[in-house]
Amino acid sequence: MTSSTSTATPAKHAFTRQVEEVKTPKSDINALILDYLTVAGYPNAAAKFSSEANLQPQQPMSAIQQRLRIQKFIHKGEIDNALQELNEVYPSILDNDEPLLFALLRLQLVELIRNCNNSPDRDISAALKFAQTKLGPKATMKQEFLEDLEKTMSLLVFPQDENLDPSLSDLLKPSLRRDVADQVNQAILEQQKQHKETAIRRLVKMRVWSEDVTRKETKKDLPEPIELGLDGDDADRLDATQNGHEPMITT
Amino acid sequence: MFMPRTATEGEWPQGLENTSFFTPSYLKGSSYMTKLEEAHRVKQTQKENQQQPRGVLPPASSDVVLDGKPPASHLGMTYDLIERSPTSEHTSTIPPLPTRWNKDDKFGALEVSANGLEVKCNPALRTTREQDHEISGIRADHPMPPQAGIYYFEVTLLTKRRDETTTVCVGFAAKNASLARPPGWEQESWGYHGDDGDIYSGGNVGRKYKDTTFSAGDIIGCGVNFRTGQAFFTKNGANLGAAFRDIKGKLYPVVGIKKAGEIIRVNFGQTPFVFKIDQVIEKEQAMIKQTISKARIENLAPPPMSETEFIQQLVLQFLQHDGYVETAREFANELHEEQQALNVNPSVPVMGINIKDDDDAHQRQRIRRAILEGDIDRALALTNNHYTRVLKNNQDVYFKLKCRKFIEMVRKAAEYGSGNSKKANGHSYDDMLHEMDVDENGLSDTMEDDSMEAQTEPGALLKETIAYGQALQAEFKNDTRREVVEALHDIFALLAYPNPLHVKEIAPLLDRKGRVTVAEELNSAILSSLGKSSRSALENLYGQTNVLLDYLQEDGNAGSFISIQSEVIDGIPRSQPF
Repeated sequence: MTSSTSTATPAKHAFTRQVEEVKTPKSDINALILDYLTVAGYPNAAAKFSSEANLQPQQPMSAIQQRLRIQKFIHKGEIDNALQELNEVYPSILDNDEPLLFALLRLQLVELIRNCNNSPDRDISAALKFAQTKLGPKATMKQEFLEDLEKTMSLLVFPQDENLDPSLSDLLKPSLRRDVADQVNQAILEQQKQHKETAIRRLVKMRVWSEDVTRKETKKDLPEPIELGLDGDDADRLDATQNGHEPMITT
Repeated sequence: MFMPRTATEGEWPQGLENTSFFTPSYLKGSSYMTKLEEAHRVKQTQKENQQQPRGVLPPASSDVVLDGKPPASHLGMTYDLIERSPTSEHTSTIPPLPTRWNKDDKFGALEVSANGLEVKCNPALRTTREQDHEISGIRADHPMPPQAGIYYFEVTLLTKRRDETTTVCVGFAAKNASLARPPGWEQESWGYHGDDGDIYSGGNVGRKYKDTTFSAGDIIGCGVNFRTGQAFFTKNGANLGAAFRDIKGKLYPVVGIKKAGEIIRVNFGQTPFVFKIDQVIEKEQAMIKQTISKARIENLAPPPMSETEFIQQLVLQFLQHDGYVETAREFANELHEEQQALNVNPSVPVMGINIKDDDDAHQRQRIRRAILEGDIDRALALTNNHYTRVLKNNQDVYFKLKCRKFIEMVRKAAEYGSGNSKKANGHSYDDMLHEMDVDENGLSDTMEDDSMEAQTEPGALLKETIAYGQALQAEFKNDTRREVVEALHDIFALLAYPNPLHVKEIAPLLDRKGRVTVAEELNSAILSSLGKSSRSALENLYGQTNVLLDYLQEDGNAGSFISIQSEVIDGIPRSQPF
């Protein structure tokens, strides 16, 4: 419950004092939140927030839900379903975007490999066939495609244990699904002429960048580190366990 | 009559005193200019307050109001209803822009005219002692502000005779550099000379520049990029390229003229520039944005949190902190679903995010909802029930709530009235003002010309509003702080209009957005009373970014070219409160 900003210790850093003087317009903060929930694809939270904070929805709920449906297929690794839905709802989106299509197909290959690893007989024929028919012809279009395909194929050869090279084992992590889902989400938003990067992400980037430059290029004295007050309570974390005794609302 | 105050922005009234506030095109929307504008507005308001002592309620004996003349005229009202209060407190130290030549900071035979924009060499003014000197120079009234990031001005050679070479030099210099020699010949002085086309810095040996001299009719621009420390010149709209490096400190625009009869006119940004300086700024911004987009969010997140998870945490913590209970729950559910979908190992179950029932959060949300719905009484009652001391200990918040109630009453009446004909509506407001005066004089005999029909709901509403306004004034009459007096003044002035919702200048005061501000201030006060940080991590992050950008603005560093407003907030599609 203690944080550097809430306890009035006499030795408060000048920077911290200045930060406290800054008025953060709540309307800006609320707009940031609604923007995030809308763009990143949390339709129910976006709807609740626009009602709780009295803000007009930024996009119709159905539009957010539609994007979420596709994202969810990709998150689950159901790439066929995602492709089908994409082709139905946004027919032209993959036509002019080879990198996006390749990313999806590559993820599909990863999923096929994951499946055959999990199956008792480790039959790799389906994955091989998919690689040869769907990805092979595209891989020659671009050097990156080729490299990505080669890396993915080597997943078939190396045993998937703790000795697997991190660049390969990363492919099997959920983050690849999330990255591809984000890519697809951004492509849809771009096609709809919506901005595709959430404003909160830009703000966080500005925060990181401005601290870097201030430390490097000015003689300004900054606290080390600059506390955000986010981790004041472990129960706040995503990985929080159920037994947190501390209240959720903290700092 | 009521006059809008922001009359002459960007224009240059010839022959008038040079007091107009202007915004050079290339600084439009920059954080430096925003701060300067704020400082200017504050100064203007103070000036007016000194000139016109302000009353509180429309005075009881006010004939002006009773006569039914435009009632606002005598009040000297100001309508700077700034939705967005200054985001930083350091505005007082913001340095001004150069606005004119300083006639008290020149050497020799220079004559200043046209509101300080034109300079002429008039040998008649020259003393014998000055005859031998090389040149007569003059400095601008203020140094170029590094906070602007890039500073730029243009000088036009007005001299008629085009055949002769000019003696004009354009540049900049520190305050202590002598003006008896051309800019560039002295230490801490830099200049571009028309006669030989050379550039000079700290000595009388010139450096070849672009092999181009300038003379009568030419427009010479001079710019300093404080981020890179480079200075450049332009000629008739063309960039001549980098001239000097390592430029920093307090430097004043300077011109030097030697020959009798030569005249120059400066443009410090009052009018559009010939050179497309705006594009230079845009290029600079694009470069900085490019760098920002490469910043790694992971550096900020406690490992092993990914960028995505970090932002999710920021949002979730904000929702809980600020008491958006329902949203927090929905968001947690959706995050949980997302985690489940992403789970590649079915044998490891995904933990749910535990959003605990929190009575405080619920109460705070109920209070917020009441305010957002305009029901201030309910919010006051709830607050007093659950957080007994908060209003007592936060008089400012209490005052704002009371004021907001008045605004809501006016709003309601105005909304109700807007269905009626304009005349009838205006009439009822007039009646109301009559009545108010009458009531203040302790007389109750009113509305002699009003039939019972006129006693419809709006009339009753307005009566109620007046009564409340009087109670409000009585409650705070001993509070002489200016912001209190001004706030009361502003809201009572709403009564002066038949339909305040249709008056552009005052409608913002009635805007529902104002509810959000009050609601959040009360929420912060309650949080503080509970010993909790009044700020979420996201707000801390916003505030920190703001201060860091300020730091990066001081020497004209990258912070001069971008702001949270321009890079983050303006990018969000507009979403108005209902």
